[in-house]
Amino acid sequence: MSDYKKPLPEIQPYSQAFWDGTKQHKLLIQHCNSCDSNIFYPRRDCPKCWSQDMGWIEASGKAQVYTYSVTLEGVEQKFVEDLPIILAWIDLPEGIRMHTNLVECEPEDVHIGMEVEVVFRDVTDEITLPYFRPVKA
Amino acid sequence: MSKRGLAIVGIGEVPTLRNPERTRWDILLDVCMEAVRDAGIDKNRIGAVISNNPMAQPGMQNDMSLGKIPEVMGLEGCRDIAICNAGGASTTNCLRLAEQHIDSGQVDFVLIPHTTVQSDIPPQDLINFFATAPLDKQFEYPYGVTFNGSMGLITQRYMYETGATEEELAAVTVALRAWGALDPLSIFYGKPITLDDVMNSRMISTPLKAKECNLLADGGGAMVVTSRDIAKEMGDKAVYKLGHGTRFMSATPMLREDVFHRQSYRESSQDALSQAGLSIHDMDLRQIYGAYPYTQCSALEGYGVCEEGQGAKLWAEGRCGPGGDIPCTTMGDATGRGHTGSGVSMAFYLDTVRQLRGQAGERQVQNCEHAILTTSGGSVMNTCTTVFGRAIK
Ligand SMILES: [Zn+2]
Repeated sequence: MSDYKKPLPEIQPYSQAFWDGTKQHKLLIQHCNSCDSNIFYPRRDCPKCWSQDMGWIEASGKAQVYTYSVTLEGVEQKFVEDLPIILAWIDLPEGIRMHTNLVECEPEDVHIGMEVEVVFRDVTDEITLPYFRPVKA
Repeated sequence: MSKRGLAIVGIGEVPTLRNPERTRWDILLDVCMEAVRDAGIDKNRIGAVISNNPMAQPGMQNDMSLGKIPEVMGLEGCRDIAICNAGGASTTNCLRLAEQHIDSGQVDFVLIPHTTVQSDIPPQDLINFFATAPLDKQFEYPYGVTFNGSMGLITQRYMYETGATEEELAAVTVALRAWGALDPLSIFYGKPITLDDVMNSRMISTPLKAKECNLLADGGGAMVVTSRDIAKEMGDKAVYKLGHGTRFMSATPMLREDVFHRQSYRESSQDALSQAGLSIHDMDLRQIYGAYPYTQCSALEGYGVCEEGQGAKLWAEGRCGPGGDIPCTTMGDATGRGHTGSGVSMAFYLDTVRQLRGQAGERQVQNCEHAILTTSGGSVMNTCTTVFGRAIK
């Protein structure tokens, strides 16, 4: 797994818990204990109220496709082997929107509003990336 | 000190090309000298140089930031320099900083230049630059997103919500290329394309096809600006800034509630128009720098030119291109002109000046007295809207 050549997330001190979570195959969302908002992506301070009293909640892992785009070319060389790449923005019931790739499906099967669920891929010994796949009927 | 107001009185520009033989400094010197000569002033009356930060041009950024331009050009009256960087909205900020110098009463003329050469940069490096510069390094970049991918996501949703078809959106590119085909400064001069050309071009990031994505190119331009009172003495060459408004949304597209920027276009244009004492229906020309076709539609919806979701139809009916009754984006946008990084916004201002002066050749909008222009930076992080007129009301 150490031959992973694609860019890894540039982890910040205040996002470490998110990536510790994915490593345990849990999708954690930052939560402000002062104003009760869910925050994505993780920040040092709550962007709504500037509180530093921040915690984490575990997401259900379910989501809906808000939009998607199938990339066929124009990527950096290190991504070429993955083409076509299905980019998507997905809406979580926890009230946040994430950028991801849709996996375990064909481009022609994807549609806006499609129900998806998180799936974890351990891309290196240290890093696990969350992806999403269609919920099986 | 009372406000003196701003007018553009000199312009210079080189054709957009891909030609690495033409150096960054060759372009820079040519456009600056042309703009000063066009203004008809002595070079030593330039009191400040406010440069547009050229993206992906680190050497040039250093030269511009650290005072090389007035030194090399012998601008003996120059009191200070600065560089503005807000991506594609950089030129807008150059104008605002220039206006502050002019309002101070201590500077009468400001030179605003831009230069970019991208044809000598390896394609993979450019892909890397434009993939990493505006994107989140943690939550976007690891997923293989590109600028085209990011805009493909928004375009797909735009089609879903409005019912706009791929053909209607392709018509935007046909019209932008039609403007470009009539413009000697466009890389596509003399090269119009058909709807079939767009629809049959390679798919890059659905629904965006190759002809709807940007061709990175080289170019440059410059403006000389001054106060309204001085401009009035300079005759027909002056174009006046009548109103201005801006809105910021977000750096990262996925965090945007105003996903098509309609609200941002609406509010920034309302601020600019009310300052100018004019309505959107007084505008003879709408210049929209969005770099991707959906923005040409959602901007018209935000401005209030049409109902939400009807923008693409106006383009598909031919009303926004050459010969149409709602001429838009005669500059061609990046799609119809060639993408010169932050220089696209410079080219938009220069084209607006030409239209208001009646110097736009085959693209000339008849009786063009007022124009509205919106620039944006990053992945459409903001909308910076300005109303220009050929006279002060
Ligand atoms: Zn909070």
